[in-house]
Amino acid sequence: MRRILTWVPILFILFLVQSYFWVPTYEEQTRGNPERLTEYIEASIGDAQILNPILSADSASSTIESRVFEGLIDRDEDLKFRGRLATHWEIFEEAYFYVNDEAWIPNFGKADSKAIIQLLRDAIQGRESRDGPVSQSLANIEDIEALPARSFEVSKEERGTGGATVSLTVRVTAPPRIRLHLREVDQELFDHLSTVLGKEYFSSFDGKRFIEVSPEALSSKKAKYAREFLPATEHNPVIVFHLRPNVKFHDGHVFDAEDVRFTYEAIMNPKNLSPRISDYEPVKAVEILDPLTIRIVYKRLYSPALGTWAMGILPAHLLNAEVLREEGERRGMDPEKFSLRQSQFSRRPIGCGPFRFREWKTDQYILLDRFEDYWEGPPNYERYTFRIVPDLLTQEMEFYAGTVDSYGVQPHQVERLGRDPNYQNFTGLAFGYTYIAYNMRREPFTDRRVRQALGMAIDVDKIIRYVLYNQGERITGPFVKQTDFYNHAIETLPYDPEGALELLAEAGWKKGPDGWLEKDGERLRFTLITNQGNNIRQAILSIAQDSWRKIGIDVRTDVLEWAVFIQERVNKFDFDALILGWAMGIEPDLYQIWHSSQTRPNQLNFVAFQDQEADDLIIKIRQEYNHERQVRYAHRLHEIIAKEQPYTFLYVSKWTAILDRRIVIKEVDSEGEVSYSRIKPTKTGNYGFHFNKWIKLPEIPRFEMEG
Amino acid sequence: MLAFIGRSAIRKLITLFFVSVISFLIIHLAPGEPSQIDPLNPKFTQEVLERFRKEFHLDRPLYMQYLYFYRDLLTGKSLSWKDNRPVLEKIFERFLNSLPLFILGTLITWTLSFPVGIPAAIRRGSLYDRSTTFLAYLLISIPGFFFAYMLIIFVVTRFHVPVIGMETFGISSKGWHFLMDRLWHLLIPSVLGAAGGIAVLSRYVRNQMLEVESQDYVRTAKAKGLPADEVHYKHALRNALLPFVTMFGLVLPGLIGGSVIIESIFSWPGMGRMAYEAILARDYPVILTVNFISAILVLIGTFISDLLYMVVDPRIRL
Repeated sequence: MRRILTWVPILFILFLVQSYFWVPTYEEQTRGNPERLTEYIEASIGDAQILNPILSADSASSTIESRVFEGLIDRDEDLKFRGRLATHWEIFEEAYFYVNDEAWIPNFGKADSKAIIQLLRDAIQGRESRDGPVSQSLANIEDIEALPARSFEVSKEERGTGGATVSLTVRVTAPPRIRLHLREVDQELFDHLSTVLGKEYFSSFDGKRFIEVSPEALSSKKAKYAREFLPATEHNPVIVFHLRPNVKFHDGHVFDAEDVRFTYEAIMNPKNLSPRISDYEPVKAVEILDPLTIRIVYKRLYSPALGTWAMGILPAHLLNAEVLREEGERRGMDPEKFSLRQSQFSRRPIGCGPFRFREWKTDQYILLDRFEDYWEGPPNYERYTFRIVPDLLTQEMEFYAGTVDSYGVQPHQVERLGRDPNYQNFTGLAFGYTYIAYNMRREPFTDRRVRQALGMAIDVDKIIRYVLYNQGERITGPFVKQTDFYNHAIETLPYDPEGALELLAEAGWKKGPDGWLEKDGERLRFTLITNQGNNIRQAILSIAQDSWRKIGIDVRTDVLEWAVFIQERVNKFDFDALILGWAMGIEPDLYQIWHSSQTRPNQLNFVAFQDQEADDLIIKIRQEYNHERQVRYAHRLHEIIAKEQPYTFLYVSKWTAILDRRIVIKEVDSEGEVSYSRIKPTKTGNYGFHFNKWIKLPEIPRFEMEG
Repeated sequence: MLAFIGRSAIRKLITLFFVSVISFLIIHLAPGEPSQIDPLNPKFTQEVLERFRKEFHLDRPLYMQYLYFYRDLLTGKSLSWKDNRPVLEKIFERFLNSLPLFILGTLITWTLSFPVGIPAAIRRGSLYDRSTTFLAYLLISIPGFFFAYMLIIFVVTRFHVPVIGMETFGISSKGWHFLMDRLWHLLIPSVLGAAGGIAVLSRYVRNQMLEVESQDYVRTAKAKGLPADEVHYKHALRNALLPFVTMFGLVLPGLIGGSVIIESIFSWPGMGRMAYEAILARDYPVILTVNFISAILVLIGTFISDLLYMVVDPRIRL
């Protein structure tokens, strides 16, 4: 017995340990393996959730999707749109208004549709005599056309008194309508036309006159239906995409306009629960003009619309209703409820991007092979591997060992790794910022001077230096710092506790006998909160508290679990001040976060920022299709927000990534001459922009030309 | 015997029902919503949020949600909210990954604890006894993640072989080679998992042995002039084993446990990590199913240990 108890464990352990001799070393895997040079390996903390571009919302999924799928357009190095599956596109507008036969037109009187058209034609002819902007709007009109009067009936359901639903019929006898074809989208068209047709021409149009509701009892709803069916004016921006011919999906099927329409319909299909539905809600119609031309008409002006077509296009032939129904039946699921979300497609996607899907082992890796028939020519790498390594330290170890090709450096490691000559390194600014928000529903934050003073009392540069290890930059407003929309003319708030005290004194807060600031016998006291699990925010919390206490403000702090923080405090406006961050996209649309209509519970303007000019600018920006004008509006908006200080804008963080030095860009010109060059990041710091041209060389290359 | 089994089964079913209700309540009363519902994402309009809540039945009263969930679970139809895969399939896949880790860890723990613990009891107070005690407490008190990092850094920098993942990444060989590669990758995480187990269990063995060694029949055996090995390893050990037989039943729930920390550090796609990520994403179907299955395993485990006790120790016939 004793011998058994001694020998069995010893033999057992020896057997286990001998397995070491069978394992390939790192050397064999990397240097000793020529195939390693044709493969790019990336490590990620988390696994992808669902590989379908219209359904996914996590960053791991979108990394894979960006390789497997391709959109109609994307953004080039300068953030301008460039064609991918679309070769080129046109944007113009169709604008409509109803003939208002009751309106009195200056120097003319009442007019029918014919007279209106004549009036407009004359105005276009004689536009030189008018103001610059008006004349421009008129010159922009390409064609005018009258649409005859028409009538139609719609059945609707309304909640009547007592909560019961009542069905009713709406009879609309619409007056004639005028359609204007515009060369460019013009959000000020109707403002400018009213200089021709009279100030009140559009606003005095009364849709209710042309609507009958039966039963009569519900005629109070007339105004609502008039707004719905007979809007006085309507902007319909139109995008026509010309698609690239002979582009193939990974299964060989040729891509055409049908796939684009299918992708749009899949997003809008409520069964699929696409998180992108709000992007496409403004679309009125998607029309296929021919297999390579597709026309998208919008209900209203919405300039972020173009950017949404960077969405990966799905193959219609693999996912249409019939195929899905078949799959549902085959897998024994209710075919009525079976949707894209359940489809196996999201586990083995097929797109027309540069890489085709090979294998996905949940929480281990995702393998992609290059697509030999890619329209832009196949990528240099033969394989792309996405490894899931949830622990950062092991990620780092694997990077050193050479079994992962890039590593996202932690802020505290930048000092050491960012300068390591063995690696090439890239740094850039994140798309997002961290801020302290003040609840402007509550005293004392209603006073701009108080908000500004609070901001001036915090030494943000010190936060960046000590909390972020210098891996951050100051920010003054709500736009992405690398884009044109950010107004660089605005200066950061200085660190000036004395100045802060003066501002507070102006606002009535003076030092009391016990050293605290008070006003009318009441101490300046509030609570600053943030969420748990973010060490940086918690550090800022203590620093802010300390800085404010130093100038005599009695600040309490609280750290809350994320869900409680959002649901109980932020969404219900139950806070004085909080620390949080926003992640942003390139589009300058600030409607949800800054527009005064978005201040109800569960909406994102939780600080209750309200400013008439800012509201106008926000609307103008999202309706403007011209980049220069958008930039102008954005700069002004930035100025207003920076002046009002609803937030103390703290910083945008910097990231650093390191890459094996042997990875370079390889290009082959038309004569077959091969040239290598260093990887250069784009303006936004995206070093992976030319990923398809990357390759790994056996030795570290020298680029003498560049020194 | 049969009556005991019957009574025990009924009692356990009732317990299971209460477990299902309480775990359901705890998860639903905890703040937070599934990660698909992201109220801070400007793209999510109120309508979209409502539609998601409806899809997940979150708009229904709690008892209806309870019924929906267990109906789906028992008919095998419940889907993970995170990736829409069938929950049972997902759990089974992870279970197969965690199983070898669990088996090897248990094997190491149980084969090593006895040879370590028994001599400590026999030579109580000796240098060996004191040093194993010291080591055991050291192992218990070192945080697992720290120990894991030290071990990884040591092995990787010393021996230049990969240790993370279930197999060497990108390995293409088959057969024996592949099997040994897997075994190597199993070894380090299981040793880590077993380290704490050995520390605890060997102490336990030591105490049991000490208790038995002071019994009269051991003294009698010694007095009879039996060889020391026979006294310790035959007369004493057999009687000391009794409580361990019952402990074996309690190992069962470990099948579905898995360690979040070790699995994350070693990139091991196991149960623990899945359950942890499900909790972070508020993926209720996965959390509740794991919870339900582990409740069943605990109940079966206690049942088995009751039975084993009856088989091994005839005094406990009921």
